[in-house]
Amino acid sequence: MNFKHKYLFLFPGLLVLIGILIFPVGFTVRLSMSSWDSFFPGLDYIGLENYFRLFQDDSRFWEAFGRLSFLSLTTVTLQYVLGFALALMVWKDIAFKRFFRVLFLIPMMTTPVIMTVIWKTFFHESLGPVNDFLNIFGWNPLWLSSEILSKVTVIIVEVWQWTPFMFLLLLAGLLSLPKEPYLAASIDGAGPYRTFIYVTFPLMAPISIGAIIIRLIEASKIMDTVYVLTSGGPGTATETSSFYIFIKGLREFQFGYSAALSFTYLIIMIISLTIIAKVLVRLMIRE
Amino acid sequence: MKLKLTSIIPLTVALSTASAAYADKWSDMFPHIKNTGDIPGECSYESMSKKDYSGQKLTINTHAVPVMGEPTALHAEQFSKLTGAEVDVIHTPAGDLYSKAMVPFQAGQAPYDIVFGFSNFIRDWMQYLEPVPAKYVEMRQMKDVTQSHIDVASWDGQMIQYPIDGDRHYLKYRKDVIDNPEYQAKYKAETGKELRVPQTWKEYAEIASFFNGWDWDNDGELEYGSAEVMKKDDLMYAAFYSRSVAYSKNPRTPGGFFFDLETMEPLINGPGFVEALTDWVEATKYVPPGGINFGLGDEINSFGGGQTLFSFSWDDAFVAAMEDGSPIKNKVGAAPLPGSDSVWNRVSGEWEQTYNQAPYIVWGWAAAVAKKSKNHEMAFDYLCFFANDANHQADIAIGRFGVNPFKKSDFVPEIYVERQGWDEQIAKEYSETLIEMEEKSTNRVFPLRVPGVFQFNSALATGAAKALAGQLSPQEALDEVADQWRKITKRIGADTVREAYAVGVALEDNLK
Amino acid sequence: MRKLYLTLKYLFIGLWSMFVVAPFLWALSTSFKDFNSVTGGATYIPWVDFEPSLEGWRVLLRSPAQGGVNIVEPYFNSIVVTCSASFISIFLGTLAAYALSRFTFKAGFIKNSDITFFFISQRIMPPIVLSIPFFIMLGKLGLLDSMVGLVMVYVVLLMPIAVWIMVDFFNKVPREIDETALIDGCNPYQAFYKVVLPNSVPGLIVAGMFCMIFGWTDFFFAFILTFTEVQLLPVAIVALNSSITPWWSLSASALVSVAPLIVVAFIVERYLSKGNLSGALK
Repeated sequence: MNFKHKYLFLFPGLLVLIGILIFPVGFTVRLSMSSWDSFFPGLDYIGLENYFRLFQDDSRFWEAFGRLSFLSLTTVTLQYVLGFALALMVWKDIAFKRFFRVLFLIPMMTTPVIMTVIWKTFFHESLGPVNDFLNIFGWNPLWLSSEILSKVTVIIVEVWQWTPFMFLLLLAGLLSLPKEPYLAASIDGAGPYRTFIYVTFPLMAPISIGAIIIRLIEASKIMDTVYVLTSGGPGTATETSSFYIFIKGLREFQFGYSAALSFTYLIIMIISLTIIAKVLVRLMIRE
Repeated sequence: MKLKLTSIIPLTVALSTASAAYADKWSDMFPHIKNTGDIPGECSYESMSKKDYSGQKLTINTHAVPVMGEPTALHAEQFSKLTGAEVDVIHTPAGDLYSKAMVPFQAGQAPYDIVFGFSNFIRDWMQYLEPVPAKYVEMRQMKDVTQSHIDVASWDGQMIQYPIDGDRHYLKYRKDVIDNPEYQAKYKAETGKELRVPQTWKEYAEIASFFNGWDWDNDGELEYGSAEVMKKDDLMYAAFYSRSVAYSKNPRTPGGFFFDLETMEPLINGPGFVEALTDWVEATKYVPPGGINFGLGDEINSFGGGQTLFSFSWDDAFVAAMEDGSPIKNKVGAAPLPGSDSVWNRVSGEWEQTYNQAPYIVWGWAAAVAKKSKNHEMAFDYLCFFANDANHQADIAIGRFGVNPFKKSDFVPEIYVERQGWDEQIAKEYSETLIEMEEKSTNRVFPLRVPGVFQFNSALATGAAKALAGQLSPQEALDEVADQWRKITKRIGADTVREAYAVGVALEDNLK
Repeated sequence: MRKLYLTLKYLFIGLWSMFVVAPFLWALSTSFKDFNSVTGGATYIPWVDFEPSLEGWRVLLRSPAQGGVNIVEPYFNSIVVTCSASFISIFLGTLAAYALSRFTFKAGFIKNSDITFFFISQRIMPPIVLSIPFFIMLGKLGLLDSMVGLVMVYVVLLMPIAVWIMVDFFNKVPREIDETALIDGCNPYQAFYKVVLPNSVPGLIVAGMFCMIFGWTDFFFAFILTFTEVQLLPVAIVALNSSITPWWSLSASALVSVAPLIVVAFIVERYLSKGNLSGALK
């Protein structure tokens, strides 16, 4: 269908978006080619110097990227699996399903900045309930101050906060699935396992991919959790790209450099996500 | 110096008794100053009531309630009542004070007339600030401020920030352990050494380790050696500097502590600093579980809640411990920071085996007026009112306000004994420790106050944190930091940094 | 076998429910504590483990001059800004999504999926770097510290979500429906409004909810772009964060700020269940 109307549908939203964004994004690119910092504010022009510095000299940025990949891929995978499982379980045939559905949505409604403070006290090695309980067995894990465990703690908090996101999208998807394939499957005598693999999962593929991609984008920006829980520590164990960009930008006030970091990050993310999306489509839709 | 103290005490006592008997109308209207009544001065309640700012608005960006936030809001309310001005107060968490002020400044705007922050912002934001007019500097109220604090608020002789608070690092310890004869005997028996207030960091470590991990105050919970700010956030580098000063600030090698002033070569990876960082890595063994992730708030909770034997950063932990209702009220003591039995001489390249101690005149809360503000006079009047004698005396008596002594007339033990219920011995120890650092010391380190200070401190924090986490050895970590510092200096321009650093060095070397 | 399956199912749900609820219970308990109850070690039940105090709750209503943070006005501001931005985002976003789902666009090598990707890629940028340009932009427009300015920025942040979700949902509504409607004499707008939209209610609800959530819980932009006139709830709450973290008031405020969204959760769940029915009715 090719109507002129199509522009009327698309353009209001698109134009508003572009209109508001064009200055900030353009400014960011321009900023990345300057050396704006707290002492020398203003847009001088230093060409691609920031980028050279970034690629040659800044191993910390790339380390942060590595950690980010690890953290975001792990959390998103966990969230997907758990979210799907939960959605399937409260889809039908269970008591109080409506109550559970609402309950499972709640973690997502909390403001991350505030909720993470609660988590910090929860996992506090000396004063928190988790270790209080584990002390009974003689354990005292250093949730926030060991290099490995701190990553685990971040993952736990992220999974708690965002699994509902997957859960909701997948549940909405499940609820709007057509009935016919299921009737066909039960006529064919398929059990729950086979129904899932051959009917549910493929039908849910488009939504799954969409959910995973959005979630990956959001997870990569993970800031509040890291900031409150560990400040990127211990050492640099939980420092992610966006946290590093934040430090360079608003703590050290090297805005020009921070803009270059962000722009590079944006490009890398776009490339990675496109690749991931294509891979997912291959994996999920071919089946 | 003794002369000054002996003349101030009668003055203050006279003032307090005089005004206590003087139940004036201002203390009736404003219960905050009920203990002293209004104390006369250019910015007293009486003087302010004569000013008329009705119809005008003052906007202030300050820290969260209660530390600094509550007194700001309280004095804003009082100021508003007295002068008719409308005062808007915004509260911001500590780590964001800088950006909340700087982002508008850099965009050419000044939504706040008054900004609160830390005094080491000075070099970075002074270009946007209005210097304190001479009339305020000349006031008696300002003359009462100790020299260190005037220095901290000024740049090259000009006062840019208005002194409203004083801060310092000092050693805090549990008197019920150190002064306890039973534990003294036990310590002597097991280690052969005296149990006393540690004079060096090595002693600090020994005593802290001894008292780490068992219940020495019989409250059913385990206690530990020391609570320190080790979390890699905005304040941890100050804790590190406090630990390094004794090893590296050699009065015989002037010309720079963080950098060699002439060459701008970083000194941060010198043996003195490495020794301090090695101590600090050792300290991770005698802090409470999770101590490596302690921010200032956690340190205050820990020491103030009775969990550790020592602490050594800002006043807050001490104040929290001495609050009514604290289980360790009157069980804590104050002392100068530990020193060291040897100090590094960077000129001769050797360790000198002499005792060395130096305070780190650490920065604290500061307030300043924006250059682009349209209400300079009203803003300075507010700040002057905030710090007026009556308000100040009342403020330092309320622990959670975060306002700590910085005027010569503050270092009078009676204030704390009478108004806060402190033990006399403790109040005396506290006042003496503070005066020692503020007025008497000649071998001291001023905070780094150069352009890009946050970058330098952030690089140090990252390096130190890596050492604490065991990712790198102290020498490796500091070498990395020095490397970063060189790069930062190059980026900003060695001359620019030197020019600014020279101002601080001049103060340290007592040239001005 | 079925019994085993059911038991496992309930076990899993039970465990997850406990995981979900745990921090809230902890927050509830902590909101009644004071400094000593917190620093002495973990305590749980009021009156049994510690002396409860209402301080954490009272702080939320007191003015700063008395040591509190008044959250009533920020609460209200947050509701207005979030709802406005969400509504506008859904409106514009759904229209755009419909176009991207149904029609083909071509401008050189830019196809539909690229435009869709363009929308969603707006979410990739870390907020920090956008803060200064937005600040400058709003400054020049005189919209700093205003509701309008905030709504404008939030629309940019939320619209991509609306578009992305609705494109997915529209893609699942078969084209035959549109075509049937057109054959029946509707013009494209009516086809959209009367036929396709009602079949996508679950999608709309979900998109709406996400917009509300991301809008309500944003801290960063509200922090940078407002000063005194307009304060949003997350900023007001974070402003409690003093040198001594007030665990008790933060816990209380965390609970309070979740409350409205719980109401939204109930509403969403109802429509989700209903949406299932209407989908079958087609």
